[in-house]
Amino acid sequence: MIKNSVLMKRIWKHKLFYLFMLPGIIWFFLFSYVPLYGIQVAFRDYTFVGGFTGSPWAGFKYFQQFFNYYQSGDIIRNTVIISLMKLLIGFPMPIILAILLNEIRMIRFKKTVQTLSYLPYFVSWIVVVTLMQRLLTPYGGPVNDLLGSFGTDPIQFLNNPTWFYQIIVGSDIWKNIGWNSIIFMAAIAGIDQQQYEAAKIDGAGRFQQIWHVTLPGIRNVAIILFILAVGNLMSAGYEQLLLLNGPATAGMGSVLDVHAINSGIREGRLSYAAAVGLFQSVIGLILVLTVNRIARKVSDVSLF
Amino acid sequence: MNRIWSKGVSVLLVSILVGGSLSGCTDSSGNGNSGEAADGSYKLKILHNWNGSGGSDNGITPVEEVIKEKTGVTLDWEYTKGSETEKVNQIFATQDLPDIYTGPAWGGELDGIIKAAKERAARRYFRQIGDYPNLAKSIAEENVPPALYEKAINAYDGKKYLLLQNQPAQNEDGMDWLYGFYVRKDIADKVGIDPQSVVTKEAFYTFLKAIKDANLQENGQPVFPLGGFSNGWSVGIGNTMFNSGGSYVDKGDGTVEHNFFTKGYEEYTLFYRKLVEEGLMDPEAFAQTDPIAKEKINQGRIAILAAHYPAILDASKEYVTSHPGSDYIPVGPLERADVEPNRPADLGIQGNNVTAITKNCKGACVDAALKFLDYMASDEGFMLARYGVQGVHWDMKEGKPVANKEWFDKFTADQSGKVRKNEGITIGLESITGPDRINSVAGGDIWADQKRLDAMEQARKILRPNGIHVITAYNPGDVITKAPEWEMLKPSMDRMSDAWKEAIFAKSDEAALGIINELREQLRKTGYDQAMQFTNENLKGKDVVTVQMPN
Repeated sequence: MIKNSVLMKRIWKHKLFYLFMLPGIIWFFLFSYVPLYGIQVAFRDYTFVGGFTGSPWAGFKYFQQFFNYYQSGDIIRNTVIISLMKLLIGFPMPIILAILLNEIRMIRFKKTVQTLSYLPYFVSWIVVVTLMQRLLTPYGGPVNDLLGSFGTDPIQFLNNPTWFYQIIVGSDIWKNIGWNSIIFMAAIAGIDQQQYEAAKIDGAGRFQQIWHVTLPGIRNVAIILFILAVGNLMSAGYEQLLLLNGPATAGMGSVLDVHAINSGIREGRLSYAAAVGLFQSVIGLILVLTVNRIARKVSDVSLF
Repeated sequence: MNRIWSKGVSVLLVSILVGGSLSGCTDSSGNGNSGEAADGSYKLKILHNWNGSGGSDNGITPVEEVIKEKTGVTLDWEYTKGSETEKVNQIFATQDLPDIYTGPAWGGELDGIIKAAKERAARRYFRQIGDYPNLAKSIAEENVPPALYEKAINAYDGKKYLLLQNQPAQNEDGMDWLYGFYVRKDIADKVGIDPQSVVTKEAFYTFLKAIKDANLQENGQPVFPLGGFSNGWSVGIGNTMFNSGGSYVDKGDGTVEHNFFTKGYEEYTLFYRKLVEEGLMDPEAFAQTDPIAKEKINQGRIAILAAHYPAILDASKEYVTSHPGSDYIPVGPLERADVEPNRPADLGIQGNNVTAITKNCKGACVDAALKFLDYMASDEGFMLARYGVQGVHWDMKEGKPVANKEWFDKFTADQSGKVRKNEGITIGLESITGPDRINSVAGGDIWADQKRLDAMEQARKILRPNGIHVITAYNPGDVITKAPEWEMLKPSMDRMSDAWKEAIFAKSDEAALGIINELREQLRKTGYDQAMQFTNENLKGKDVVTVQMPN
C-alpha cells in the first residue's frame, strides 16, 4: 500500500511526462493488444458470416496443415537464414554509424549525414524496390552502365540467386541504418563527458576512447535492442521479400511472412494464415525469453 | 506563467496525438457511402473488381446522368488496383463491403465470391424475380455454360445469388480475343523469316534465336526476342504446342487427368527453361509491373509479344505511330499438340463477369440495386453503357446505331481513353449489361476504328484458318472443386503456376523437373488421386473439355 502511494506520488510529480506516454500506450493497446482476440481465428474454421467469434472450432487443424505442407521446412529455414543475416550483419551497422557520427566535429556536415541516413526509413518498400529495379537493371540501369565503363559484363542483380542475399541484406541496411542509429546516438549523448576527459588524461586516443568509453556506455542499450531483435528472428520482413523475391529466387526467398500473406489474402485461407502468424509469434516470444534469460545471467542486463 | 504555458502546450499536443490515433480507428467507409442522396437519388456503392479499371475524372458523367434519370440511382465507384482475388478475399474478410460487387467470372475471384454466396454474404436476388425479367434471362439455365451454371449460379439450394454477364447472346456476339504470339513486322523482315512459316516449336525457337543473334538495339538497349505484359501475362501460352491446351487432358481410357502430370507439361517447362537460359525471353517478364512492361513496348524493345491482340494493339499504338511499319503481326498459327491439324480453334467463350448484391445492401438498397441492374441489362442499358447517350454521342440511322462524327474523332484521337471515360463509357458499366449483344442487337462496335478492325480481321484470317469452335462442354476444373478432398488439395493446386515459373528459372533441367515432381508428390499427398476419381465419376457420360486454346 505504501509502495503504491509512493508510486502514485512519483507519477503525479512527473505527470507531464506520463501524459506524453499516453498516445503510445493507447496505440499499443489498440493495435497490439486489442487484435490479440483475433488469435482464435487460428483455431477456428473462419467463415465470412461467423467472423472471429461465430466460426466453428477447428482445433490444431491449420497448424497440422502447415507442418504437413511440403515446403514448410524450406520456408522456416529461409526465414531463419535471412533474419540471421540481417541480425548479424545489420545489427552492428547502426552502432557503427552512430559512433562515426559522434566522432564528426563539423556540426553542419554531421546533421546533413544524419538527415540523409534517416530519409530512406520513410520511403515505402514499393518505392525502394522500384528504384532498385531502375538502378540495377542490366538494360540501361546506371549501376551496370558504371560497371560497364570498367569493362564488366552486365549483371542481372535482381531475380538472381547469386546476388539475392546481398540485395536483401544490403537494401535492408540502407533503409533502416539511419533510423536505428538514433537510439544509439541518444545513448552516446548520455555518456558522462568526464569519462572522455579522464581517458584523454590517461593518454587514450580516439579509437581507444571509442573502445573503452563509448562502447561500454551503449552496451546496455545494445543488449536490450539485441534481445528485441532476436524476437523478430521468425519474421524476415514481408514487404521487402514480397517485392524482391522472384521465380528464380523462390527457393531462397520464400519466407513465413509472405507465405502467411499469400495464404490469407491471395488464397483466402484466413485461419491457416493466422496459424502461420501465430506460430511465428510464439517462436519469437520463446526466443525473446531465452535470450533475455541468457543476457541476464551473462551481463545483468535484461528486459525484465 | 511559463509553467502554465508549458502545461497548456503539453495537454494540447497530447490531445492532438490521441485524437489522431483514435480518428484513424474510425470507419469512414461502408454504409456511410450509400443511401438517399441530397438530390433525392439513391446512392449505391459499387466495386468494379477488374485490375486496372478506372472511371471519370469529372464526377458524374453524362451516361450516369441518364441512369439517374431512368432508375433514380447514382453510383459511387471503387476500382481495383492489383489482384482481383486478393480484393475479393479482403472485402469479405474485413466486411468492408460495397452494395454491388462485380468482377471476373473465373479463377480465385469466382471461388471467393461463390464461397461468400454460400455463406450468405451475398444477398438473395430474386425475391422479386417477376419484376426483373432482364436479370432472370441472363442467368436462365439455357444461357449459361452447364458446369458454370452448376458451380456458380444454381449452387445454393435453388436460390440465385450471382448474375453472369457478357456471355454471348448469339454466336455472332462471341468475342475471339485472338490470343497468340505477335512479332514486329520490321524485325521479322530484318531477320528474314516469314512469321507464317513459323509453325513448329523448333521453328519458333529458331525464330527467337535469329532475333537474338541479330543483336538488335533500340535507344542503345537490347531488343528482347520474347516478352509479355505485367507479371508475365501471357508469355506461357506456348503450352498448346506441348499438350492439347486444356487444364485437364484425356488419358485415352475415357478419364481425364491434370495436364501438370503429363509428359507434355515437362517438355513445355524445359522448352521455356531453355528460352530463359539462352536469353531468348525477357528475364524480368514475371517480375515487371504493367507500366514497366508497356514502357518496354513503347521503346520498341520487345520483338515477339504474347497476349491477346487488342492488348497488343493498344500497347503498341504509340510506337507504331512514330515508327511506321513496326506493327505487330501474328506468328504461325503454331502447331497444337495432340490435336488434328484441321481442327477449329477451341475457345471457351462464356460470360466473363459475375455480379452480386452484398449483405451490406438492405431494404430500399436492394430495390434500388435490382432496378439499376435490370435497367443496365436491358437493350437500352446495354446501348447506353457501350455507346453513350443517344442523341449526343450516337444516333439511330436506318435502324442502326451510328457514331456521332465529332465524338468518334475525339475518341479516336485520345490515346489515353480518358475522353471516353469522362463521358461515362468504359467506366465499368459495360460489365453489368447482361449478355453480350454487340453484334446481334447493337449492330457492331460503333467506336472501333477501321484500322483496328482491319488488323483484327487480318489476324483472324491467319490464326483461325479452320474457324473457331465454342466450348460448351463440362470443365473438370469446375467439378473437382466439389470433391471432399478439395479443401486440402486446393493450396497445392494453387501453387502450380508458381512452381512452373520457378522451374523455368531453375539451374538445370534436372532441378526444373525436381520442382515439378516435388509438387506432384505433394498433390498426391493432399488427395489428388481421390479428387480425380471423384471428378471422373461425376463426368461419366458427359461431354468434357480436354482441348482448349486461350481466350
